[in-house]
Amino acid sequence: MLWDDPVTKGLAKSLDVAALRQKVVAQNIANLNTPGYKRSYVVFSEELARAREKLSLRLTHPRHIPAGEIAGEPQVKVERSTSRRSDGNNVDLDQEMLDLVTNQLHYNMLAQKISERYATWRYIINEGRG
Amino acid sequence: MELFTSFHISGSALTAEKLRVDTVASNLANMQTTRTAAGGPYRRKTVVFAERLARVRQAPPSFLGRGVRVAAVVEDPNPPRLEYDPEHPDADEEGFVAYPNIDLAKEMTDLITASRSYEANTTVINTAKSLYLKALEIGRG
Repeated sequence: MLWDDPVTKGLAKSLDVAALRQKVVAQNIANLNTPGYKRSYVVFSEELARAREKLSLRLTHPRHIPAGEIAGEPQVKVERSTSRRSDGNNVDLDQEMLDLVTNQLHYNMLAQKISERYATWRYIINEGRG
Repeated sequence: MELFTSFHISGSALTAEKLRVDTVASNLANMQTTRTAAGGPYRRKTVVFAERLARVRQAPPSFLGRGVRVAAVVEDPNPPRLEYDPEHPDADEEGFVAYPNIDLAKEMTDLITASRSYEANTTVINTAKSLYLKALEIGRG
């Protein structure tokens, strides 16, 4: 089906991950002054790479570009090995703010890409009349 | 996953940090208070934060963080500051008055940390808002 091609699915999945990352960063910043709190972080790109390795489509021509569906799930992990303060908290505000901004840009990029795909389909449905 | 979790997370932090500012205000206002309902001089109060987690386990990707909560408001156990002032109505037999043991510099740094943390959380709320607005734009035009 046209609507659930791997690329759109992948974009939607990545958008979900960016939304999750926003929550995780919010949680870290909310707990900036909580004694003993350890920061959480989302792992997804590694999962993505692994999924891509596992899932490869059969190629019938050497110049075909391999494509695979994104099957990995994001993981929320906790950084337990470090401490930044004597109370055991290890949230680095600068790092979190940076993650926040990067994630926002990433989210915007993904949302725009999804919009563009819908725009393309609309263009096709209208027989190229915009 | 709940839709506006990010707002709830940062909102809980705003509440918590606000309480910290209130506590500092109370400490500063009572720097010279020698009488309290519990008896004796005012004691410096500090808030203790704890991570707030969701009670229900959700389908993966599960993220249980739900912000921060104030676990307790504790009183400073340190002894009060004694000052010699025999004229004071609350002076003891030897003429010493017990004043709250409040360090102005400590309170001010606490105030600044709380206000900066509050700002950081408002930034997160604004970012979350912009993300949601961006999501609403999908498929438009």
